[in-house]
Amino acid sequence: MAISNAEGDPATGNEGGGERKRKRRADPPVAKWRTEGEQKTYSSKLIEAIRRVRRSSAAAATDHSRSRAVRAAADRALAVAGRGRTRWSRAILSGRKLKLWVRARACRRKPLGSITAASSSHTTPKSKPPTLERKARVLGRLVPGCRKLPLLTLLEEASDYIAALEMQVRAMSAIAEILSAAGAATAEPM
Amino acid sequence: MSGRRSRISEEEIKELISKLRFLLPETSRQGGSRASAAKLLQETCNYIESLHRDVDDLSDRLTELMATMDISSAQAEIVRSLLRS
Repeated sequence: MAISNAEGDPATGNEGGGERKRKRRADPPVAKWRTEGEQKTYSSKLIEAIRRVRRSSAAAATDHSRSRAVRAAADRALAVAGRGRTRWSRAILSGRKLKLWVRARACRRKPLGSITAASSSHTTPKSKPPTLERKARVLGRLVPGCRKLPLLTLLEEASDYIAALEMQVRAMSAIAEILSAAGAATAEPM
Repeated sequence: MSGRRSRISEEEIKELISKLRFLLPETSRQGGSRASAAKLLQETCNYIESLHRDVDDLSDRLTELMATMDISSAQAEIVRSLLRS
């Protein structure tokens, strides 16, 4: 019996079938990004990705383009580790090209409010919106996929994103350490 | 869906400030509530940008390293050290 648009079976005991309102996404727990297990999983995925980049990059590829490929792979692996629960992770996975395209569109359509409110300030749009909103816009641009969010949601996404980035930095540093140490070891034949 | 400016109320600002304090690392947390929400937002943006830069630098470094060495032996090394720690 389809009562309404039920995405899961009510029989699976999802926190009491009738409470659909409470099924809102809980805050993404930030602490999981600090666990060792998460970092290890991420590290091994990252290493695989790096190997793929190495194999697939043509001889003519510059260091810069390969570095960008590594960065993209690292970001994608990070988004996968997020298990799709956050907006930023879904935004990364749905394609970076999309982000550029959306940005180009958003630049065209400047908010009309600033033009109508200020009669003569056509050249200085920054003076009108309050500082807090301005900063919030900047933050929204930095976190992928979070441009038009209300402030509090934006902060939740940002906190998860920051924790994830920290883990990314830790994992990549560790791998770089190990690789350079291993490089030094193999450089001197015993 | 255009021009829906939501004014930020006082309570939201307070909640904002407490959340932002939580986000930033210990070192850049200013003592006391003198730091306004805007300043904290700025700190947050700066922090994310610096993390992005770190990731870029690390990508460069990893690209160099992976080019100059044999991955199979390196991978064995990595697996060993990961299992150790």
